[in-house]
Parts: sequence; structure tokens; C-alpha cells
Amino acid sequence: MRFVILLLALLFALAPVYWMLTISFKTEGEQFASPPPWFVFTPTLEHYYDAFVTRSFGQYLLTSAIVAVTSTALALIIGTLAAYALARFELPLKLNRRLSLWILSTRMFPAIVTAVPLFLMMRDVQLLNTRAALIIVYTAFNLPFVVWMMRGFFADLPRDLEEAALVDGDSRLGALVRVVLPLVAPGLAATAVFCLIVSWNEFLFALVLTQTDAAMTLPVGIAGRVTQYEIKWGVMSAAASVAIVPILVFALALQKYLVRGLSMGAVKG
Amino acid sequence: MPRSRRFFNAQNKRELLLPALFLAPALAVLLALSIYPLIYSVTISLQQETAAGISWTLGNFTRLFSDGFFWTAMGHTFVYAVVALTCEFLLGLGLALLLNNQIRGRGFFRASLLVPMMLPTVVVGVVWRLMLNPNFGAVNGTLKQFGIDTESLTWTASPKLAMLSVIAVDVWQWTPFVFLVLLAGLQAIPQEPYEAALIDGSSRWQTFWHVTLPLLKPSILIVLLLRTMDLLRVFDQIFILTEGGPGFATETISLYIYRAAFRFFDFGYAAAMSFVLLALTNVISATYIRLLQGRNA
Repeated sequence: MRFVILLLALLFALAPVYWMLTISFKTEGEQFASPPPWFVFTPTLEHYYDAFVTRSFGQYLLTSAIVAVTSTALALIIGTLAAYALARFELPLKLNRRLSLWILSTRMFPAIVTAVPLFLMMRDVQLLNTRAALIIVYTAFNLPFVVWMMRGFFADLPRDLEEAALVDGDSRLGALVRVVLPLVAPGLAATAVFCLIVSWNEFLFALVLTQTDAAMTLPVGIAGRVTQYEIKWGVMSAAASVAIVPILVFALALQKYLVRGLSMGAVKG
Repeated sequence: MPRSRRFFNAQNKRELLLPALFLAPALAVLLALSIYPLIYSVTISLQQETAAGISWTLGNFTRLFSDGFFWTAMGHTFVYAVVALTCEFLLGLGLALLLNNQIRGRGFFRASLLVPMMLPTVVVGVVWRLMLNPNFGAVNGTLKQFGIDTESLTWTASPKLAMLSVIAVDVWQWTPFVFLVLLAGLQAIPQEPYEAALIDGSSRWQTFWHVTLPLLKPSILIVLLLRTMDLLRVFDQIFILTEGGPGFATETISLYIYRAAFRFFDFGYAAAMSFVLLALTNVISATYIRLLQGRNA
């Protein structure tokens, strides 16, 4: 009985996604067939060709990738430095705790609250419809998460190793790069994957800040097709299916690091 | 410890330099892109363009009270949040209780159930546009095979069913998240209280009510907090599924703010409304956090 309920939950979670995948491989005739063909149909790649070669989805894909990778790298560099300072130095005025909480609180604003002024600010500095605008905004958006995560990882690390490096005459930055970072690498990787997923999936800021083919991300490109009158369902499904691929890869990568992180803990304990 | 103090204490000015340098880029980015936008927003919400130029006014805020659309959108947001939260919580808790026992292939189940919440919300919108399409969607297609008349079931295009449809999609995407957090919470509960309950001869229901639920309360509050925050600001899926329609049937507060700003270019009014949303989410999250701390104290 319990197994049946679980199977139903599984079916419910996965069938809709599977349905979209089949639409992306069906000819238009079979897309509209009744009853709907779930399993037996003649697969075609025409919608993928149409989306990524004939139309501009290849370009949106590239923009999404560039924006996600660049903003993640920037957030990691800036955030890790801040996290290290918050985890390791005893600052006056209870600043460690106060700054950490303040940084986390900036992540709590509903996106639409900052989207309106950010649109106007980007318009003022003429960065609308550029990848740079998205990179800047996503860096700021991911930063609190990076600081919060990495602060935890640094705090878990014993200080002895860094102190040994410092006694040996290494500089602070040298100790951080050569001794501390390798030890928190799994945590850093998990944080990076999380930032990549968030940037890749993000919609509202991208919608507000980019409206041209040259600058829009994959989600905005897909949304633009959905809300038109005559919808090319195959093209849309093909683009959406491709948008899922990196997420699945990221999720697998994260799983590996989670396992590694756990086993590291097990070895230590 | 004395050595730690030597290396990591930053009480005097010279020793403050290094942590300050490490912190400066992050603080600069957040000041420029989180705090400055808020100040900018306050400014434009207090301004109105008149024939004589820009004047300072509370007009954008007083206008909120007489704007029926704003209150309707607030009502929609409230209904959306309450119904979706209730369904997600009950389903997520049920699944977590089921999966907490030993079951073959649990890892596989767990990984598969997480797929919906990992997807980009835009893709979720596309998936359900396809599923719920009245002409060729899998939902109506399947119902038809069971002999159900689907003539009036136009889902997202129907004024009556549109809200139900967007809520169902949210439940589909986010129940797995509730499930994941509650399952982790359940697994962190030690065995002893259950053994004690068994010795006392408590029924399964009593055990659940007096042992499981109180011990799970922190996880429950955290997951409710996170979901409530997300539900109150919902935008992406509804934008893709209905764009707030048909008519105004699924217009939530975030969509209404978006429309005011980017369709009518009424940025001042959009900013004023966004502060109401911000205040609302702050009050609710503060309440949850107080409940959480009250328990731990």
C-alpha cells in the first residue's frame, strides 16, 4: 500500500516533465493527437533545429551560460573573502554577528521590490539590455548566500593549520589560498553549484533588465514565446528541455560533493 | 587560545585593516545593489510628476487605499499563499512520514521527487501550459479517456479554474521541498522518546501528536517561513501560465506591481506598493522567527 502511494507520487512528480519532453520530439500532427500518445510516436529533431539554429535560442543559451558562470565566480570570490573575515577575525562592536545578520537580511527582500529601482538605475547608467547588468545583479543576489554558507564552513575548520602556516611566515592571503581553501573545497563547490542553479533559473530580473535578442537569457526567451498569440509548442518545449539539462548535471555534481562532504566528516569524527 | 587571539583579534586600528579589506568588496556590492535601490525606491515613491515639475507627496501611498485592483491583488495573494501552503504542508508531511520508514529504493524515490523544485520556474510554466492545454493537454486527454466531459475544463483560461490551476502547479513544484526539510527533521529525532511512548502504551496517534510533532516543530516552522516568503512574492509561474488573467483572476501583488511599473511606467506607485509587500513579508517572517526562538528559549 505504502509502495503504491509512493509510486503515485513519483508518477505525479515526473509525468508532466516527461510529457514536455515528448512534445519536443513529436511532429506537430502528433502533438495535437487525441488520445495523447504518451509512448508511441515518431521522434523528430525538427523543433530543436528550429529553436537553436533557425531562431535565436542558441544565443539565449550562450547568454544564460555566460551570465551564470561569471556572476557565480564573482560572488564566490567576493563572498569568500568576506566570509573568511567574519569567521576568523574578532571584530569590535559585535560586528561579526551584526554584519552577518545584515548581509543575510538583504537576501530576504521580495525580488519585485528591488527590480523596480534596479531597472531605473540600470537605465540611468545605460546598462539596460546588456549581459553586464545581469552579471552585476546576480552577483549581488548570490553574495549573501555565499557569505552565509562559507562562513559556516570556515567556522567548522580548526585554526591550528592556518596558525602553523602563519607562524611559518606565510601571509594571511597566502594561508587562506594555500591552506584554508583546499580544505573547504567541497563546501565551495556545493555553494558554487547552488549559485549556478539560482542564476540559471532566475526570471524576474532578467525579464525586467533584458528585452533584446542579444542580451536576453533562456528563461526570458522561452517566456517571450509562451505569451505570444500563436505558440510554437514544439520550439518552446525543445528550448525548455534544453534549459533543464544543466540543472540535472548540477544536481548530480552537488550530490557527489554532498557525499564527499559527508564522508569527510565521517573520517574526521 | 592565546595564539588565536594574537592572530585573529582585531581590536586596534592596524589589525582592523586586513578584515576591513576582505569585507569591503562585499559590503560595497550590497550597499550599491541592495540598500541603494531601497533608498532610490523610497525617493520615487514619494515623488509625483506634475506640470510644475517633480513634487514631494504622499500621493502614491494614499492612492493605495482607494485602488480596488490593489486590494483585489492582495486578496489573490493571500488566497494563493494560504491554500498552497496548507496543501504543500499536509502533502509534504504525509510523504515525509511515509518515507521515514525503511523502504526499498528510498534514495531513488527521494531523488526523483526533488526534480520539480529544481526546475526553472519558467520551465514549470511551460510544462503545465502543455499539460493543461484544453485542446491537446495530457490532463484533459487523460480525463477524456476515462469518459469525463472536458468541454468546460479550460483550466488556466477559465475565470473559475485559473486560480485553482496556478495553485495546483505551485503545490506540484514545492511539495517536494517541504517533504525534504521535514524528512531531514524526522531523521534527526532520536529513538528514546519513541521507546518511552511504546512503554507507556501510547497509541500511534498519541505518539505522533505528543512526540513527533513537538520534536518536529522547529523544522515545521522553518519550512513554513521559507514557503510563506516565497508564496507572498510569487511571480514567475503565474506570469507564464496566465499573466494574471483571465481578466484579473490570478493577478497577485508582484504581478500587479510589475504591471504598474513596466506596462504603465508608473514607477512611483509601483515602488509604494512594493513597500507594502516588503512590510507584510517582514511582519510575517518576524512572527515566525519569534515563534522559533520562543520554543528554543
